[in-house]
Amino acid sequence: MSLAGWVLLVISWGLILGITGFCFAKVLSKKELK
Amino acid sequence: MPKVRDNWGSRLGIIMAVAGSAIGLGNFLRFPAKVASNGGGAFMIPYLCALFLLGIPLMWVEWTLGRFGGGFGHGTAPGIFHSIRRKNRFIKYFGIIGIFGPLIIFIYYTFIESWTLAYSFFALTGKYSQLADQSQMKSFLLGFQGVERNQYFSGLSQAYLFFLITFVLNIWVIYYGIKGGIERLCKWAMPLLFFCGLILMLRVLTLGTPDPSRPTWNIYNGFGFLWNPDFAALKSAKVWMEAAGQIFFTLSVGIGVILTYASYLSKGDDVVLSGLTASATNEFAEVIIGGSIVIPAAFVFFGPQDIQSIARSGTFNLGFVTMPLILNKLPWAAFLGFLWFFLLFLAGITSSVSLAQPAVAFLEDEFNIARKKAVGILALAAFILCQPAIFFLKNGVVDELDFWGGTFFLVVFAAIETILFGWVLGMENAWDEIHKGADMRIPGVYKFIIKYITPLFLFFILGMWLKQEWIPIIFMHNVPSADRPFIFGTRIGIIIMFLILAILVKIAWAGRKKVPGGVR
Repeated sequence: MSLAGWVLLVISWGLILGITGFCFAKVLSKKELK
Repeated sequence: MPKVRDNWGSRLGIIMAVAGSAIGLGNFLRFPAKVASNGGGAFMIPYLCALFLLGIPLMWVEWTLGRFGGGFGHGTAPGIFHSIRRKNRFIKYFGIIGIFGPLIIFIYYTFIESWTLAYSFFALTGKYSQLADQSQMKSFLLGFQGVERNQYFSGLSQAYLFFLITFVLNIWVIYYGIKGGIERLCKWAMPLLFFCGLILMLRVLTLGTPDPSRPTWNIYNGFGFLWNPDFAALKSAKVWMEAAGQIFFTLSVGIGVILTYASYLSKGDDVVLSGLTASATNEFAEVIIGGSIVIPAAFVFFGPQDIQSIARSGTFNLGFVTMPLILNKLPWAAFLGFLWFFLLFLAGITSSVSLAQPAVAFLEDEFNIARKKAVGILALAAFILCQPAIFFLKNGVVDELDFWGGTFFLVVFAAIETILFGWVLGMENAWDEIHKGADMRIPGVYKFIIKYITPLFLFFILGMWLKQEWIPIIFMHNVPSADRPFIFGTRIGIIIMFLILAILVKIAWAGRKKVPGGVR
């Protein structure tokens, strides 16, 4: 795999893992449904 | 006495249900094929642009409109749209697509979903374990689908049996309602889906170089095939369109399902964080798990020459021909084959139950029909409507239903939603509505994106489709002449369905006017 391939994979996976992790951390710490 | 509507039991429940609706076969089959055929890793640039400019804004629009309409006792688009501008007599008719689209998809999707259940069973019982090449596996699939009679299948009986099981399972889940049926299913099915997906992903990542005589056929190069970028592809408008289309379809926006699911929320429940979480969960399943199974594994076993044609061979070939052949070559083939098809089955059933819900909600909310009776009516109608998709699959009926219900009307409906949200409700009102009970603020730039960029993006997609595909599709240029009566009949059926729904909307509102103070 080329360096550019690695860079795109790391950015894509990092972005998605980051947003998913952030969202679930926030959801689990916030209030339940009313 | 006003009817008490069903509701969600927990926040995680609705997030899992929306994510389950979005995660379908396309996450594991369509996405990797699109990446491989459209510039490799470079495809992720337009893909991520479309995610942030089209997918996530539409997700927020649908969650917000759904919760807004639910506050007026409406769980489907006709009532939700009517709630936005009650003085307008026609606005509710635009919402018909939000019931019609999911119903059309449901009637063929359930059949496709039943194939995954059947193949899970076949994997465990070793029914296809002796098949060694693409042509044999393809023949097995065509025999099962009833497209041809061969040494593997003499008719549709097995496929029909699995369809019946799948159909009954779907109806059973819907019968128990939002909390007792759909939420309960998604709360165990989604973790199980991720468990199956991660095991398969781990197995593919540890494939190494299975054939030492072909050292370049390794997993490292398999990922390279998928991710090495061809930046020249970004100059092609087609690649940007494919990326936008993939985002659109993967998130289940523009169908009407999210509107219905969100209508069971209360006014003060957050939609910003929940909508973003459901989108992120879908992306995790698509990019990280879906991108790490089929194409890298196919590269390892079929090599750099054949992988190009395999990537372009279509979703069903990848899922039902290539993947079982790969898994057949590994130790624990039966177990891995079962995991693969069961993963697809879970992705399918969490989507199909969501597709049936708008029709049930419409009967419940607009005709005051009890849930169990509404489910009975839907089951009978959907069962009858499923039959042409099953028996005339080889004549292109499913493709035709997929074009109208699963492609064209999605974009039309999403365009209508964004116009109603940003322009009819008004961006300031819409912005306040989105943030009611919100656990996080949306960046202000999204006001501009939702009002201008997202609708323009949608009109551009629609315009390009009309320009490139309208004439050949309408005049059936690519349909064999023997199949044209079937396609024509399907179109007549679709028009009749649309008209019946329009009449039902008219009757529902006419009935309400007769009740004093009844127009909501």
